[in-house]
Amino acid sequence: MSNPQRIRRRTIAAALAAAFAGAAFADETCNSPYTARLIKGQEDYVHVWTLGVEGVGDGSDKLVTIDANPKSKGYGKVVHSHSVGGRGEAHHMGFTDDRKHLWAGGLDDSKIHIFDVGTDPAKPKFVKTIADLAKQTGFVGPHTFYAMPGRMLIQSLSNAKDHGGKTGMAIYNNKGAFVAKYDMPEGEVGVVKGDGYGYDIAINPRKNVMLTSSFAGWNNYMMDMGKMVKDGEAMKRFGATMAAWDLKAMKPKQIFSVPGSPLEIRWSLNPKDKWAITATALTSKLWLIKPDGKGGWQAKDVATIGDPSKIPLPVDISISADGKGLWVNTFMDGLTRYFDLSNPEAPKETYTKKTGKQVNMVSQSWDGKRVYITSSLLANWDKKGDDNEQFLRAFHWDGKELKPAFEVDFNKEKLGRAHHMKFSAKGGKKT
Amino acid sequence: MTSARWSWRRMPAGVSVVVVLAALLALVACERAAAPDHSAALGLPPLAVPADNPLTPAKVALGRKLFFDRRLSPNRTMSCAMCHVPEQGFTAHELATSVGIQGRSVRRNAPSVLNVAWQKRLFHDGREITLEDQIWGPLLSANEMGNPSMGYVVERVRGIEDYAGLFEAAFGGEGASAGRIGAAIASYERTLTAGDSRFDRWRYGGERSALTALEQRGFKLFSGKARCVSCHSVGERDALFTDHGFHNTGIGWARTYLTPERTRVELAPGVYAEIDRRTLATFSEPSVRDLGRYEITLDPRDRWAYKTPSLRNVALTAPYMHDGSFATLESVIEFYDRGGIDNPDKSALLAPLGLTGEERAALAAFLRTLTGSAVAALVEEARRTPSGR
Ligand code: HEC
Ligand code: HEC
Repeated sequence: MSNPQRIRRRTIAAALAAAFAGAAFADETCNSPYTARLIKGQEDYVHVWTLGVEGVGDGSDKLVTIDANPKSKGYGKVVHSHSVGGRGEAHHMGFTDDRKHLWAGGLDDSKIHIFDVGTDPAKPKFVKTIADLAKQTGFVGPHTFYAMPGRMLIQSLSNAKDHGGKTGMAIYNNKGAFVAKYDMPEGEVGVVKGDGYGYDIAINPRKNVMLTSSFAGWNNYMMDMGKMVKDGEAMKRFGATMAAWDLKAMKPKQIFSVPGSPLEIRWSLNPKDKWAITATALTSKLWLIKPDGKGGWQAKDVATIGDPSKIPLPVDISISADGKGLWVNTFMDGLTRYFDLSNPEAPKETYTKKTGKQVNMVSQSWDGKRVYITSSLLANWDKKGDDNEQFLRAFHWDGKELKPAFEVDFNKEKLGRAHHMKFSAKGGKKT
Repeated sequence: MTSARWSWRRMPAGVSVVVVLAALLALVACERAAAPDHSAALGLPPLAVPADNPLTPAKVALGRKLFFDRRLSPNRTMSCAMCHVPEQGFTAHELATSVGIQGRSVRRNAPSVLNVAWQKRLFHDGREITLEDQIWGPLLSANEMGNPSMGYVVERVRGIEDYAGLFEAAFGGEGASAGRIGAAIASYERTLTAGDSRFDRWRYGGERSALTALEQRGFKLFSGKARCVSCHSVGERDALFTDHGFHNTGIGWARTYLTPERTRVELAPGVYAEIDRRTLATFSEPSVRDLGRYEITLDPRDRWAYKTPSLRNVALTAPYMHDGSFATLESVIEFYDRGGIDNPDKSALLAPLGLTGEERAALAAFLRTLTGSAVAALVEEARRTPSGR
């Protein structure tokens, strides 16, 4: 590392450390703890990052805004849509720490589109596109956008050399300028070998720990899923590890063996809890990450999701604000499952509902009363023909039953594949 | 090695044989260390270079830049090297068959471009004949690099700042054109020389101890009992390990007619599940046909015949066959030992071999002696200057 780089890195670490003191867990349960202006009441809008489909409407990736306030005239309707041009495998989004901007990434073209959602959330305003991720870092496939104080931490999935799974994280400032990069750990860290793969980020500032998980490179996430499962070589290229990092130093401290591709990671938002949970997509299990009693962390397999031999493919999860419950969507069977997490060592599936022919993302409101589900996993992993439903479905949850609230049919509206969701509220109220 | 390697012999009609030595020495001079040594060609016949596209260091460097440049696809994601990855034997280990732009499926395995200058016909079905023209296959295929036209590619290259002056310098003042893009990439590919393997040093370099007893036994089987040489030719003075022909070994036929009811999937190391055909269909695009050489000749005898690949560097180029269906050299040898897969057009040269376990191991050991001495240097050279990420 050159000297200026070292100095810059030290400055970043110092800036982060300074900000940690004031951080609190926040948001509609899945965002970074540094995100301001939580919506603890009724959300007004759901923004859906939507993949363009060749031959459907304008075929372009777009940010679709849907009115989600039952008191509003436009409830359940699309109120705004902004096409970014091209199909870049729209995937995840994340708010900046001040919640003014929404960053939306493309796993294929590695573009990051920034929208102003703070000024008028009903009409997200396109600000600019960051297109230098590969050039700055050698990484491609920006996945998780995790707000840091004044900055955005971005977990990538792949690299520009071979489109495999070796990758890393990048930090950009809120204006969109590149700041630093970090490779995912390879080789032995402690007793387990890192695979260099990445997927999600989850930070617990109070414990100075950042957890990361691991998925697959461009080759796998871009290819036809039917082709992939028949390709023995491709199937060997899935992440099988998680890492615990020293957050302030941005250094990996421990690697855990978590076979079958651990995806989304959620810390319990209950201040008394000291654990995080994740689901492995291929092996259909819930894993708990908790203190190992020796000042470090451990990962433990605590539950099975459905029948793993049928490959239900648990994809997104959503934790309740009190850390007592977890929604899990299994893509293949289209089921939305509720796990009781009262005892995180032994999660129990207590409710199951078929919510679509294929389901991926699940997001709940802070009070847990509303649950939103979208259908698309990845352009070339989605089901084909009649099974390829594309929707946003909103439900009411009373603790016993998911009751349909409204639905937007993304095929019928010629929008595309409905993917990641983020909520917003008028005038930043209800914080 | 002897200077006889560089004799002007077996000159194909219309093609001048150029001694690459001079060009490569020039490369060494202008790029300092690590350019491949000319001895990297031990065991290979003289390199044939078209008279109208002589090798020059400027052209080779430009061709290399183009080969690695992802901006040669409309959405700037695919370069030649994304499928022909230097660190993976200039092919791709992580995929049986390639994945192109926007994740589109390619039906075949990417062959290595090491030693590709010695191929008489290109692609598994031999549909192309010169490296200069071959580039337009991947550049224009909707499922590989996805460019809409040749002009589009030329315009893109002309518009990229860091190409300013490079074509002019390499082509006597002429700027980028479709032909010159091909000439440059072909020139780079012609420098991917990977001979001088341990086998070459043993057989053509007079180093008796370059192969172990087991490996020598393997070569004896290769050219004797196992009859591999009847297609993977080995000459007295050099060896390409290919007869440049097309043969049906049964793999393509079996894929077409024997569709499995259930597919076994490895979910994590040692963890398997099975998917039935109906479930698989819910998330699979329709499969595309692949009839091999027949698609080019329309001669029914060529159904499911594929080009005999060179076996040079085969230890580096897994997975194997036109569809990447074998993960290891051991599984390839077992396949030949069984006599391939019977079907009406199967090559008469294939029959059960009755190899013992030890003989199979010797064959595999021999195949692993075919790795060229310059591969590491070629990889290093390929990555020295990052191109167009
Ligand atoms: C999407 C992956 C992909 C890309 C990109 C790609 N190739 Fe290939 N390449 C392949 C595959 C697959 C084949 C075999 C295709 C066939 O036989 O039909 C091949 C075949 C070849 C061959 C023939 C080798 C032989 O032994 O017959 C050459 C030469 C070659 N490619 C060079 C290139 C060049 C130059 C580029 C960039 C202009 C390129 N490739 C881009 C996948 C790719
Ligand atoms: C009838 C001619 C023939 C004979 C005999 C033969 N091969 Fe082959 N070999 C081929 C052809 C054709 C292919 C390509 C087949 C395909 O792509 O599906 C091939 C492919 C291979 C490959 C895979 C190379 C790659 O890069 O994918 C290996 C390894 C190989 N042969 C080894 C052997 C060995 C060892 C023997 C002797 C036991 C042998 N072959 C005998 C014709 C032959």
